[in-house]
Amino acid sequence: MRVVVAEDSTLFREGLVRVLAEAGVDVVGEARNAHELRTVVERERPDVAIVDVRMPPTQTDEGTRTAKELKAQQPELAVLVLSQVVETKHALDLLSGWPEGFGYLLKDRVLAVDDFLDALRRVAAGGTAIDPEVIGQLMGRRRERDPLEELSPREREVLGLMAEGLSNRGICDRLFLSSKTVETHINSIFTKLRLAPAPDEHRRVLAVLAFLHS
Amino acid sequence: MNRLGALALLVVGAALGVAAYRAQINALSSPHAVAQVAIGWAYLLAGLVAWARRPANRMGPLLVLTGLALLARQLRYSDDPFLFTMFFILGDIGYALVALSALAYPFGRVTDRAERVLVVAGVTTVLLIPSSIAFFYGGTASLSGFGRLSRDSLINVSANPRLVELLQKSEIVLFFGVLATVFVVLIGRRFWRATPRMRRILAPLVLAAVAFGLRAIFECVFTFVDRPFAADYVFWWQFVALFALPLALVGGLLRAHWVRAGVGDLVLELEHARPHELRDALARSLGDPTLELAFWLPERGTYADSAGRKVELPENGARAVTYLDHDGEPLAAIVHDPSLLEEPKFVRAAGAAARLALENAQLQAEMRAQLAQVKESRVRIVAAADEERKRIERDLHDGAQQRLAALALQLRAAQRRMDAHEAEADPAVEALLEATVAELQAANEELRELVRGVYPAVLTEEGLATALESLVLRNPFPVDLDVLDGRLPARLEATAYFVTCEALANVMKHARASKASVCISRHNGILTVEIEDDGVGGARPLENSGLSGLFDRVEALGGQFRVDSPAGEGTRILAEIPCES
Repeated sequence: MRVVVAEDSTLFREGLVRVLAEAGVDVVGEARNAHELRTVVERERPDVAIVDVRMPPTQTDEGTRTAKELKAQQPELAVLVLSQVVETKHALDLLSGWPEGFGYLLKDRVLAVDDFLDALRRVAAGGTAIDPEVIGQLMGRRRERDPLEELSPREREVLGLMAEGLSNRGICDRLFLSSKTVETHINSIFTKLRLAPAPDEHRRVLAVLAFLHS
Repeated sequence: MNRLGALALLVVGAALGVAAYRAQINALSSPHAVAQVAIGWAYLLAGLVAWARRPANRMGPLLVLTGLALLARQLRYSDDPFLFTMFFILGDIGYALVALSALAYPFGRVTDRAERVLVVAGVTTVLLIPSSIAFFYGGTASLSGFGRLSRDSLINVSANPRLVELLQKSEIVLFFGVLATVFVVLIGRRFWRATPRMRRILAPLVLAAVAFGLRAIFECVFTFVDRPFAADYVFWWQFVALFALPLALVGGLLRAHWVRAGVGDLVLELEHARPHELRDALARSLGDPTLELAFWLPERGTYADSAGRKVELPENGARAVTYLDHDGEPLAAIVHDPSLLEEPKFVRAAGAAARLALENAQLQAEMRAQLAQVKESRVRIVAAADEERKRIERDLHDGAQQRLAALALQLRAAQRRMDAHEAEADPAVEALLEATVAELQAANEELRELVRGVYPAVLTEEGLATALESLVLRNPFPVDLDVLDGRLPARLEATAYFVTCEALANVMKHARASKASVCISRHNGILTVEIEDDGVGGARPLENSGLSGLFDRVEALGGQFRVDSPAGEGTRILAEIPCES
C-alpha cells in the first residue's frame, strides 16, 4: 500500500510516518501544505492520501478542499481525513459527496495503531472509515419514537461498527464473535430498523448513516 | 428722516403732480395724464413708507427720487420752452431710476457687476440721446409721443427733422429694446441663482420684468408699425405693472419686518418647544426652511446635530454660518441661507431668544453623542471579544493541541518500536508509556472540549447552520432545528450561535425538558433567534450569568433579548438583532 501523508505539524507527521513504516506501509511522500500535497499526489499517484483538515496557507479547511480536487482528478485515490475536532455535519457532508474510499478520523485515533491501520486498509480497498465519535453522536441522538430502543445492547454495538465502516470480518475481530453470530445480528438489525439489505459494504455504510442521521 | 421732511416731500410731490397733470392735458388724453401722475405718486408714497420703516435701507430714498423724477418728466409736455427743453433732456431718467430701484432691491444697493453696467448704460442712453435731439429740434416737425403738438427747443442749432426721427427711434430701440431685454434677462438670472428663501423675497421683481417687458413691446412694436387696437391694452397692462411695482417692493421690504417680529413669537413658542422642535421654530421665525442647527460638543471639540452625530460646518459661500456662544464658550451654530447675512443682528437676536432652549438641546446632543459612542464601543468590544476567541482557538489548535497529539504519537511510535525490536521489553516501561499516552490523550480530549466552547472552527468555516447542526448532534435531548441558509456577518453568526449554545446548555441544566426547538430566521432586516423548550420554566435571566451575558451581547448589537419563562410552562428565549441584508 502506497501512502502520502499531508500534515503541517512536523512532529506529528514524523510520528505518523514512523508508525506507518513500522507497520510495513510504504510512505511514498510527505506534504506540509496543500500545494505540496497536490504535487506529491500527482507525481506519486498513491493508493491513499492521509490529509490533515487544516493546513497552510489558510489554516481553515485547505486539506479537505484539496483532497476533493485530487479525488476528482484521480477517482481511484482513497483519502483518509484527520481532524483535531469532530464536526459530525461536516463529516457527513464530505462522505455523501464521495464515491468510495473515504475516511474521517480524529487525530487521536492514530494512537490506537492497529485499529488505525485497519481503517487505513479499509479505505485503501475502497471502503469507509468514520470516526466512532461521529457514530456515537448519531446513535446518541434521542428521537421522538426511537427505533434504536428496539435493539439489544450487542446489536447496537454491531450497528455502530457497521456505521464506522467495518466489514463483517472486522466486526468479528473487534467483538471476538463468530462470523455467523455477526451475520445473525446484522439481519436482525436490518429487520428491526426496516432497512433494505445493501448489495455491498460501502452502500451498507451509507444506508446505515442515512438512517442514523434522518 | 423726520416728519417735517416727509411732509415737505409730500407737498412737493403733490404740487409736482398737479403741475404735471396740467402740463400733459394738452398733449395726452385725460386718463393717460392721470395714470402718469398716479405712477409717480405711487413711487413717492412707497418710498416714504420704506424710508420711515427701514431708515437704514437706501430703497426708501431711491423710490422717493424715482417718484419725483417720474412726475417731473411729465413737465416736458408744458407750453413753456424752458420746461420742455429741460425735461425733454432729463425726463427719461425717471425710467432709468425705475430699473435702478428694481435692481437695488432688497438692500438698496446694486452689487452685481453686470447689473451695474446695465444701470450706467441706461442712464447714459436716456441722457445722451434726448440732449442730442434737442440740438436738432426746431419746433416745427412732430415729435414721437407728443401728438400733434410742437415745442421750441431752446438749444436748437440746426433743425433737422429726419435726424430727430432717427435719434428718437434709436433711443426707443436702445433703451426699450436692447436694455429692457437685458434687464429682464438679469432679473431672470437673479432668480436662477437665488436660494429658496431669497427667491420669495425677490418675488416683486417679477412685476418689474413684466412692466419693462410690456413697455418694450409697446414702444418697439407700435413705434414702427401703425398702432392696432391692442396698443391700448398693452399700454394699460404695463401701466398697472409699473404702478404696482413700488407697492410690491415696499411690501417685500416690510415683510422682512414681519419676519423680525417673528423673533418675538419665537420667545413664546420656545417656552413650549422640545429640543427637537427648536430647529423648526428657528426656521419659521427666520423664514428660512433650509436652516440647520449644530451644537458644540466641548468634550469632543466638534459640532454635532441634535442626534449627536458629528456635523461638518459648511465653509463655502453656498451656506452661511452664524456662531452663537455663551459666556465666551461656543454653544451652537446656525447654518442658514446667506441672504440672512444681510440681517446678522436679527439672526443673533433669534439665537439669543433661543439660548436657554439651545443650551438644553446642546446638553441633549452631547448626551446622545456619548450614547452613540458607548453603543459603538459596545459593538467593538463584542467584535474584539469574538476576534480574541477566534485567535485563542487558532492558537490552541495549531499549538498546544498539535503538540499534545504529536507527543502522544511519538511515544506510541517509541513503544511499538520497543515491542518490535527488543525481545525482552521491560513491562514497567511498557506500562508507563501506555499510561502516558492515555494521559496525553485525555488531556487533548479536555482541551478539545475547551476549544470548542471558545469558538467552534466550524462556525467560521462552514457557517451557522452547520455549526448548529453539529452542536445539536452532541445534545443529549432531541432538538428541532430550523436555521436559515447562507452566511451572515461574523458577529451575527457568533451571537446567534452563542445564544443558542447557552440556551440549550440552560435547558439541559435546569429545565428538565424532553425536547427543544431552535428557529433562526431573517425578516425585514431583523435576525430572529428563538429557542423554546417544554421544561419546567421559571428561568430568571438576571440571576443567570450566562443569560445576562447574552443579554449584553445582543443589546450591544442594537438588538433585543427576551426570556419568557412562566413556571411550569417551558421557557422561550427570543433574540432579535438588526442585520442589513
